[in-house]
Amino acid sequence: MNAVWLIALPLLGAFLLPIIYRRFMVIGYWAGPFILLANLGIAFEIWRDISLNGAQSIAMGGFPAPIGITFYVDKLALLFAIMVILGTLILWFGKKKGPVQEDTLLLLIVAGGCGLALSGDLFNIYVFYEIVAVASYGLAASRRSGAGYAASLRFLILGALGSSLLLLGIALIYAATGTLNLAHLAQLAPQMLNGSVGLAAFALILIGLGVKAELFPVNTWVPEVYATAPARISGLLGGIVSKLALLVVLRLLVLVYADTSAPLLLLSLGVLGVLTGELAALRATDLRQVLAYSSIGQLGLVAIAFAIPGPAGIIAGIAIALHHALVKPALFMLTEAWGGQLNRLVGAAQVSMLSALLFIVLVLSLIGIPPLPGFWAKFLLVKGALGIENGWYHIAIAVVLIATVIETAYFLRIVRFMFQEKTQQTVDKPYKCDLVPALSLLTIFFVSLFTIGLIGKSLTTVAEEAADRKAYIDKTLPSEKANGNLI
Amino acid sequence: MTIEESALLYILSYTGAIGLILLGISAMVMCRHLIRIIFGLILLESGVNLFLITVGYRVNAVAPILVDGKIPEAAMVDPIPQALVLTAIVIGVAVQALALALVIKTYKAYRTLDTQELAQELAQETGTRIVKGTPVYLVAPAGKIVEEKSI
Repeated sequence: MNAVWLIALPLLGAFLLPIIYRRFMVIGYWAGPFILLANLGIAFEIWRDISLNGAQSIAMGGFPAPIGITFYVDKLALLFAIMVILGTLILWFGKKKGPVQEDTLLLLIVAGGCGLALSGDLFNIYVFYEIVAVASYGLAASRRSGAGYAASLRFLILGALGSSLLLLGIALIYAATGTLNLAHLAQLAPQMLNGSVGLAAFALILIGLGVKAELFPVNTWVPEVYATAPARISGLLGGIVSKLALLVVLRLLVLVYADTSAPLLLLSLGVLGVLTGELAALRATDLRQVLAYSSIGQLGLVAIAFAIPGPAGIIAGIAIALHHALVKPALFMLTEAWGGQLNRLVGAAQVSMLSALLFIVLVLSLIGIPPLPGFWAKFLLVKGALGIENGWYHIAIAVVLIATVIETAYFLRIVRFMFQEKTQQTVDKPYKCDLVPALSLLTIFFVSLFTIGLIGKSLTTVAEEAADRKAYIDKTLPSEKANGNLI
Repeated sequence: MTIEESALLYILSYTGAIGLILLGISAMVMCRHLIRIIFGLILLESGVNLFLITVGYRVNAVAPILVDGKIPEAAMVDPIPQALVLTAIVIGVAVQALALALVIKTYKAYRTLDTQELAQELAQETGTRIVKGTPVYLVAPAGKIVEEKSI
């Protein structure tokens, strides 16, 4: 199977859905999950194929690499594509029979997300980023309340500013090198992008992608949007879509900026994100906002991990990203009924023991209590960062550990609220349709808990493949060097 | 074109692009009115597009079109930035249209287009409050009782 279908199928479905809905409501309602299931099947088929034959590069329209647009299909890209598809599918279970627009936007997010993961061309990445961004502006407003529109608008303004800066960064790279292909850039980077122009371009791209990735200076939209959007959408945006932007940053760091001081820039933004996110979560009094700020902190952790050069950092980054993608959507699903002021949670354990236990297990894993997967993710991060002979990384680890203490404080405070006596204003039971996605995510969570050795091994191969810059260049660019001089 | 003329052209074009970008960003950051912020966004996007076009421009070059299937003898302008700008313009227009649609919806809900007033309204609905521009978190009213009970 060609990896292009991963993008083409949801894109086609997204635009056909409104027509199908007009004629056959029932088919239209089931078409979305069906497309996602088919996509998941294709993704696993490709995964099997590339684990046998190694990573492959696909030239769009038959034009070879430096001129044509290429898709690079390796395990790292597929892993993130599967994460997006599976996450959207699971969160689809909690969906009420609603207007068709939401289905369309969800499919668009999947198409754009797979494109971001697979694409090997900078401008192509910009286009997919815009698809994801526009779809998420729409989804952020999908509760159709005034607050939703206002939050979405503020998100859009910041997002559009970020996208323009991203395009400016890409233009700078093009001006410096004359190519947009990542493999070709990787070849040219040591001579052409090591100077201040390359670093400026990286800073612009980082700010641009940082809007989606909730990086430090451009994440003011996060608490507003997550507090006003439906819980499923907050889970999807915070837990899953935000990682894709960081994946693009990782690709750039590995391929283009490996030997420059660019990782330190990402590291400092990550450290600031962790600190501000966790401190803000400590002060927040609304459960949705606590989760939103905590997701800023977690994405800061991923940024710190990706800033560590070599496979060790990539393993830690993927582990934290996947763990967060499982835990945060499940936590957000609870907020549909339990959102709002924290003191409404007093006595929540008596209302629904199952949800309270769910909350505790997930929160403990997020903090990083040993037997749970979250511990291994944070352990890998600490181990990776301490292996680097650079004081900045050690400071970053100190900050991460302090942030963990803060995290423990505010999460356990919420847990204490839950186990107090019930009061008049205690929350209601969570709805069944919200618990189904949360519990299915929890099932995957426990499966991963018992197969942690296996997952660790496969993550190592994924990371080693992703860190292999030479293979990326060799597989994408045709063998003769003459082609490289055409542009 | 002589060298002096082309140098002047490049300088003017790059100054224009950078000026538009800076003007756009400052408008987006400093203005409080939503429509002005969107104007800032339009300026910023035009600046980036002008920058891209200037990157691809060559002096004394012709349009990158094959004549009768043959490559023209004179130097050609770089076609890639032009293709990029075409795409970027389309995306930009779509985002601006979406922004204006959201502005209409927001205005209907709150009767204001001032971002700070909007932020205050938003904060009140999501459990926080903004006093003189800085967010102040509400102390949970029932929190005191809870604390006493637990002690």
